[in-house]
Parts: sequence; C-alpha cells; structure tokens
Amino acid sequence: MVKRKVAALEKIDADFASLQYKIRRDPKSYKDDFLKQWEQYEAQREIFFTSPTTAAADTVESFHNMIDLIAHVADCYPEETRTFQDDLKAIVSQHHETLHPELRDKVVGSLVLLRRKEVIDSTSLLTTLFPILVSSRSKSMREMLFQKILSDMRNSNSKSTNHPLNRTIQAVLYNLVTADRSSPRAIWAIKLTRELWKRQVWTDAKPVDVMKEACLADNEKVIVGATRFFLGGDKEREELEDESSDEEIDLAKVKHQITINKKSRKQKEAYRKAVDKVKKQEKKKSKPHPLNFSALHLLHDPQLFAEQLFEKHLQGTKNKLSLDTKLLVLQLVTRLVGLHKLTIVPLYSWFIKYLTPKQQSVTSILASLAQGVHNLVPPDVLEPLIQKIANEFVSEASASEVAAVGLNAIREICSRQSLAMTETLLQDLVQYRKSKDKGVMMAAKGLLSLYREVGAEMLKKRDRGKDATMGLSSGMMKQRKFGEEEIGGIEGLDLLAKWKEEQRKRKRAEKGLPEDGSDDSDDEKDADEDDGWEIDSDDSSDSGEWINVEHSSDEEDEPAPKKRKGENADDDEDEDEEANAEDEAAELERMTKLATTTILTPADLAKLQELRAAASVQKAMGARARKRQQADSSNNGATHHQDDGLTAENIEAPIRLRKLTKEEKVALAKEGKPDRDEHKSTQAIRKSKKDAAGKSTSNREKQRKKNFLMTLGKAKSKQKRSLVETRKVLRGHVERSTRGGRRRNGT
Amino acid sequence: MGSSARKKQEKKKDFQKPKYKVGKAKPKASNFTDTSFKSKAIVMNQQSLSTAAPDVVQQFKHNLSLASSSRSDKQRRDALAYLTSQLSSHPPINPVGTNILLSKLLPLISDSSTPVRSQLLKLLRVLPEEEAKHSTEQAIMFIRAGMTHLSADISGDSLGVMEWLLDVAEDELVTIPGGWVKTLSTFCVTMGWSLASTVPGWTSAARSSLRAKDAQTLARQISILSRFLQAGLRSETAAVPSSEEYWDSFYGLPRSSNAFEYLNLFGSRRDEEGEMYPNREARQQVFYRRFFEPVTKGIEKVKKEGGAAGRAAVGLDQVLKDGMGDYAASAGMDAQDLLNLW
Repeated sequence: MVKRKVAALEKIDADFASLQYKIRRDPKSYKDDFLKQWEQYEAQREIFFTSPTTAAADTVESFHNMIDLIAHVADCYPEETRTFQDDLKAIVSQHHETLHPELRDKVVGSLVLLRRKEVIDSTSLLTTLFPILVSSRSKSMREMLFQKILSDMRNSNSKSTNHPLNRTIQAVLYNLVTADRSSPRAIWAIKLTRELWKRQVWTDAKPVDVMKEACLADNEKVIVGATRFFLGGDKEREELEDESSDEEIDLAKVKHQITINKKSRKQKEAYRKAVDKVKKQEKKKSKPHPLNFSALHLLHDPQLFAEQLFEKHLQGTKNKLSLDTKLLVLQLVTRLVGLHKLTIVPLYSWFIKYLTPKQQSVTSILASLAQGVHNLVPPDVLEPLIQKIANEFVSEASASEVAAVGLNAIREICSRQSLAMTETLLQDLVQYRKSKDKGVMMAAKGLLSLYREVGAEMLKKRDRGKDATMGLSSGMMKQRKFGEEEIGGIEGLDLLAKWKEEQRKRKRAEKGLPEDGSDDSDDEKDADEDDGWEIDSDDSSDSGEWINVEHSSDEEDEPAPKKRKGENADDDEDEDEEANAEDEAAELERMTKLATTTILTPADLAKLQELRAAASVQKAMGARARKRQQADSSNNGATHHQDDGLTAENIEAPIRLRKLTKEEKVALAKEGKPDRDEHKSTQAIRKSKKDAAGKSTSNREKQRKKNFLMTLGKAKSKQKRSLVETRKVLRGHVERSTRGGRRRNGT
Repeated sequence: MGSSARKKQEKKKDFQKPKYKVGKAKPKASNFTDTSFKSKAIVMNQQSLSTAAPDVVQQFKHNLSLASSSRSDKQRRDALAYLTSQLSSHPPINPVGTNILLSKLLPLISDSSTPVRSQLLKLLRVLPEEEAKHSTEQAIMFIRAGMTHLSADISGDSLGVMEWLLDVAEDELVTIPGGWVKTLSTFCVTMGWSLASTVPGWTSAARSSLRAKDAQTLARQISILSRFLQAGLRSETAAVPSSEEYWDSFYGLPRSSNAFEYLNLFGSRRDEEGEMYPNREARQQVFYRRFFEPVTKGIEKVKKEGGAAGRAAVGLDQVLKDGMGDYAASAGMDAQDLLNLW
C-alpha cells in the first residue's frame, strides 16, 4: 500500500495521532469527536465488507487508520465500542486469506492491543488466533501469529499460573493433534507446547499428553517434532534456565559509572533497573527450586505408549518413515524401555536385522539397543543379539573401529544386563585386550573390568584380578540372579553412623570415660546437647575440617583386606572370612538401625549431605574409585545419570583414538602460521603484517637498521676505553643482567 | 632510510604520465566509474504504442481509470472534467453504464483534494437520474463515510453529494436497508447531538468552538437534515388502484433490481440499524424511539443561538411537527421486540 501524499492543510486537519492523544488524555470532552470517528469506522467497515477482496488501496488505508484509532481508544469508551472486538474477530477469521497483508497485520495487532488493555480476555483472543495460525497459508502471518500467541501465553502466566487458560489451550491443542492424525497442522501444537515447556510455563502432564498423541500421528513431520521434544525438551529447558541465571550484574560497576558519566534520568533509571534485577535474582536464589519433572517421567502409561510407538512406526512393514525418523522413534522407545523398565519382547528380535557393520548409522542403533536394556529383560532374548554383534563386528578380519564399536556396544548392554553373556563368548572377547589397536584394546579392557565386578566367575581365573578373586573366595561377591534387586538404603547413611560413633567417642574421651562404655546414659545427653534439631552454624564449620581428610587416614579406615594378605597364614583364612562376614552383617544392621530407630533431623540430613560430598571428593581424588564404582556406571570416565540417554558417541571410540583425516591434519599443521600468498620467508610475512597493522619495530630491528655511519663513532670510542672503564662497563652489564635489565624485574 | 625511499617512490607515482600504446585500449582514469549495467528485461510501467488515435470508448475508460486511481490531484480532476463533458454532451456518451461509473467514482467523495471533490459533484449532477437511483445503497455508504470524515472540508463537501442524492432518489434513500436509521445517526453525530442518554447535571460538553464557518456548516447540515426528514416522514397517499397493476403484482415479473430484498434471503442478519423501514409508520416509530429526543433538544439549543443555523432549525422544527404530528406511540408489539427475542 503506497500512501497517497497528503496535502499540507489536510495533514493538520486529519491527524489521527493527535486526535488519539487528545481522546486518551480526556475521553469525556472528546466524546463527540470519538462518536464521529466511530460512525466513520462503521461506514468504512460497511464499504469494506461490500467487497473485502477487491478493495482499493485507498479504502484499505482509511479502514486501516480507523481500526488503529479505535483500537487505541477502545478502553475509554467500553460501552460504545462493544461490537468492535467481534468485528475484528470476524474480519480476521473470515477474510485472513484475502485481506491486504498490512490490514491483516493491523487487525491482529489491534486484537492483541485490546487484550493488553484487558478489553478482551486471553481465551477469546487465543481461540480466535489459533485457528488462523493453523490454517493460514502466509508464512509471515503464521510467524506473527505464533509470536503473538506465545507472548500472550507467557504474559498471562507471568504473575501466577493461569490454570483455566492453560487448560483451555491445552484442550485445543490436544484436539488439534487427535482430530486428524495425518494432517501436518499438528506441528503448530508441537511448536507451541515445546516453546512453553522450554520456558517452564507448562510443566504438568497435560502438554506431555499432547506430545504423546503427536508421537502417534501419521505425519512424519509431526512425529519427528514430538519425538525430538521427548528426547531433548528437558535439556533445552535446563539450558535456558542456566542461561537466564548466568547473567550477573555488577552493581558496583554501575554505581561507579554513574559517578563518572553525566548524570541523567536515563542513568538513574538504568541503576534502578539493575538494582531491581539483582534483588529479583537474589529472591530467586532463596526460593525453593521448582520441582520440574522431565517429560518422560510425566507420561501416563509408558508401557502402552512404548508398545504403540513400536508397533506403529517400527514393527510393521507398511510404515514409510525415513531411516532418520525411525532412529529417532527407536531412541524414544528404547529410552522409555530403559527408564521405566518396560517389557517389549519383540523389540529385541526386531534389532537383529540391523546389526551389521554395513548398516547406515549403526552406532546409534547399537546405542538405542543398549539403552533399551535393563535388568528385567530376559537374558535369553539378548543372547542372540550379543552373539550376532560379536560375530558381525568383533573379528580379526573386521576393521579396528568396527571391532571397537562392537565391543563397546556389548559392554553397554552387559552393564545393564550382565546375565546375557555366555562364558565362552566372554572369554573370547576378553582376549582382544591384547589387540594392537588402542580403541579395541580399551574396549576389551572395559568389558573385562565390568565382568570383574558383576560376574567374575565367568572369567578365566587369571583374568579375574585380585579383588574379584578375593571376593569370590570370601563369598562376598556373588553374581546377581535374574530379577534380584539391590537392598535399598539411604546413600551415605553408613557414613553418618560412623560419624556419630566418632562423635560419641570423642565426647566420652573429653569427659574422661572409657571409649567403649555403655551408651544408655550418653545417648540421651547427646540428644540434648549436640544433635540439635536445627542446623547449627558451628556444625558446618566443624564438618569443613572433616572434608579435608588426608590420604593416610583414609587408608586407615579400611585396612582389613590389605593386612590380611601380608600377615595371615593359609590355615586361619576360614576363620577370618567368617569374622569378616559377621562384621559386614553387623554394619548393615547398624546402618538400617540408624534409619529405622531414629528420626533423621534436618541437622542430620545436612550432615549427611556434607558427608556424601566429602566421600565423593575422596572418590574423585582416586582413593578407591575403582572399587566403589557402581555396576551401572559406564567405564569411560564420566558416570551417566540414568535419565540421560545413551548416544552413538558413547558407543564409538573416543575421538582422540580415531585416525585423523587429511584435512584435519592439514588444519592442525597450519594452525598459528601465517598464510602464504606470496613466497617470502615467515619473518618477512610477519613483518609486513606488522607494518600493515601500523605497529612499531622492535629494538633489535632498530639496532640492525641503524645507519652504519652513526654506529662508527661508538665503535671507535670503545676501542679507546681504558681497562678500568671496560671493567666498569662489563660489571654493569653483569649486574644489569642479574637484576633483569635497566628497568628491573618486578618493579 | 628505507622508508623515505619508498615514500619518494610513492610520491613519484602521482606525477607519472600514463603511457599510451598503439593497439591497446586507453587506460582508465583512477576515478573512473563504471556505469554500464546488465538486465534481463526492461520493465515499463505504462506503454501504449499504437498508430491510430484511441477511440472514444477507450478514451472514456482510460479517463475513468485515471479518475479513480491516479495519484496526482490534477490528473484526477482533469479526468473527471473529461468524463463530465462526455456525459453532458447530446446524446450523453457513457459506454460503461452509470452503475459501474458510480461504483468507481463514489470513493472520491472522501478525496483529499478540494477541486476533485467539486468536479465530482458536477459530474454527479449530469448523470441521468433514473439510472443513478439504482446505486443509492452504494452512494449512501460513501456519503456517510464522507460526512463523518475527520477533515471538515470533506465532510462539508459530502453534504453537497447528499443533497444530490436527495434530489435524485429520496424515496429509495429512506427505504433501503440502513438508509433511514444509519443516516439519521450520522447526522446526529456530525452535529454533535449526542444519542446516548444525556448525563444528568448542569454542564454539558459545549461545542468546543463555534467559528463562523462552523455555524454555516451547521445551518447547511440542518437544512439538509430537514429535507431528509421531510422525505422520510412525508405522508403517503395511496395510489389509485388500477386493475392492471393489481394483476401485475401477482403475475408480472418484478422490474426493480432486487425485488425481494425485504426478505433478506441471502444477506447477513440485519440489526435495528441495518433494517429496512419501508413505510412511513415504521420510520416514524423508530425515529420516535431513537432520535426524537436528541433532535428536539438539539433544535432548541440551536434556536437559541440564532443566526443562519437558528433559522434552519426553525425550518426543521416545522418539518418535525408536520411529520410527527400524527404519530402516537403505540404500545403494541413492534419489530424491535421481535428482534430482541431472537
């Protein structure tokens, strides 16, 4: 719409901006003018509606202006402009396809403006805009609508959660997804949900339900969008949160700037804002962390969902999804299976045909397989899979990378279900630790160390290692049976018990009593004095010392197995074993006793937290890291949380073991060297660069370039120097060099 | 030193003469700007290449399009002048028909340039009345938009167009859908006779400034309003029934453009404002309900002010007495009650 030039006189006359300003300032006195404009609006609307599609540019422009004016002053005359919102809604929902783009945008903008002025409520606005978003064919329009909808949702949820609105919109989205499974329209539901999830506006189960339905759609785009949400939505949310909390404001700096720069209102405003922000951040810090469950945990009936996903998108031969999409869906299914310990037996046999080195992106398939395994999967289902991986991947003939991938995959599977391995196969695979390739060697060693912990009997005797052999002979180490679960406890409770014991002893020592006296009287006193309900400040400082336990003291803590090997003879080994077992049992009992007989106070819990932290510090320092490692932690360094999925990178060999490609090598070699357009020495190129940057030359260079004639005089005088003079000069030189030059070091 | 030698070289370069060589192109000057350009096609906005002069029909259409969509004031005015001359010749030349002509030109009522508007009025005056009648509905929309325009000049000029419409088709004007109530409310709003129930109290929003020009406009508005009311409230006399017409009403084909419009079969639902008020009684009824009070109050006020506007108001008062004198507010059910029930 090209604006027609306005004559100067008319400009003064027909000034909508000034009229709007006047009306807003004093609505009562300008009511007549407003009513006139309202009539004008009505007339324009009538004219426009006679032919909405073929309206002339002039008509469109004047209608545009009228809508703008009325929208801005609508809140001053609510009675007169009752019909305005309905008009706008009708215009945009009936004619959005054919409307002039600018007019269309103006109508949408005016509706949002009315919402901001609270003339209409969010529900009616969103229910108007959303159908248009879904059906519009204009990209810019969709983009704008999406922005508007999103910002309105955020605004209406900013102060407190607007449950009715959320419920309405979620219902709309749900219906959109479920109404027509094959239409790509559901993509908008996904986009909106993901965005609101990311910003933590929606954190409950209903949006997850929407996404769940979208996963089961027929349209590939929709499936991909929804699957990606489950796989990455929570990470995205966390990242956004980290980002927002990262930006720190240095108040002192702002204050200092104000003292230096010109004092203005703007500056003052900026300072005030900074203070507000800092306060807000502090408030946020002190607030309890909102309990946000991940989308995978909020799923209702994951078993059914995983089964449906598998049957619909993977199992049948009818589905036409591309491999990438299938991989995504597979990742989701196996993630669900691993996380919720679901049982989908056909899933594992489905994998068989994909387990060849030629298969495209086989590493991510292997990773999916591994993450789909948990300790309740029947081992005989997994056995053929492991056999196949071993046959296809791990052989002398296959490339070293392939073998490493196969071994890693097997290790990952077995770390989740160790019973799936057969003895002969394991012993074969372990042989690869002698391989010349580092990747294969490391992978095989990983497998070996895994089985030393979880199933040492299956290894040959010489492969078992010291700890496992001793554990086996003492009977402490047993292979877990199928379906057997570890006895649960509170992590670090034993530490707490030990600490309490020590405290008690120390107190008794202070009082001059024997350390191992009867507890009865002391316990009560302890309860009175020390184990207060509240967390004391000195309590934490006290424990601060405790964290820095030295290495030696740590060794003293658990010296039993070491000593025994050196000192004890063979004959009394049996007795020792028994005693050891008894000790274990007693400790276990004590641990559970502490949890079952006393109520852990907040102070106790705080102490527990500290002890745990101290223990993990020790572990990181390497005291006994290997020994305490849990069975489910992977062996390549970082421990996984169970919620995090397994990716192809975990299966592939570490990146530094991979051979570099030629390009990478060249890039590495080139790094830090000047580019060589012309054939000059490196020095010359550096110098020309320096010249170009306008930098000065070094002293050395200046010396070298100095005119020969100028140096002559000094050379001559040097020859004429007396011995004393020469000595002085030389001494001065030595002294200077020890001090670090004329300008001295360190001043 | 080395640098000075280099600088000398650089200085020298400025004064070196370019060497011309036989068979080689002349070297370009250092400040030469390349102005050549490449394009796949050259687009011309308007191009009319013909050996013969355009015929009258073509010229008429060209001018019509110029008048309705040209960006220049003068061009629009000239095109309108051409159209006027064509229409006023004997016999009038109008190859497109009055209806299409009007639909193109009516938006010019709100044109920003005064000469264009006055030329438009001249053109409207030369249009044949019988044919212009059929575009009443369209015309009144644009007139209403013009009358409420923010610019006082435009709203003043559109009163002239209103006058023309009253001359041409006053009966149609008051009977078409929306023609009666909407036009009346437009009049009231432009004159500042507020329709909403008046605020109790002494002070009222005074007319902000009553300049001489405003007073003149007001007088004109009132006189045109009185014409409009006269047309709407004129007592109807039943035509002498003739047997031919009687049978025609049953068996003859209707000759008006939209004979069954009052049934409103295809349009959107009409509210009170957009409704048709086909007979005098209905018009009286709705006038009494919605406009009688503000109009009488306005008349009183203007009368007190006196002057040209006051005189016009006296005329309006007379029209009102004639038109509404025989009206008695009936307690019976009327159309509004039915609408409310819906």
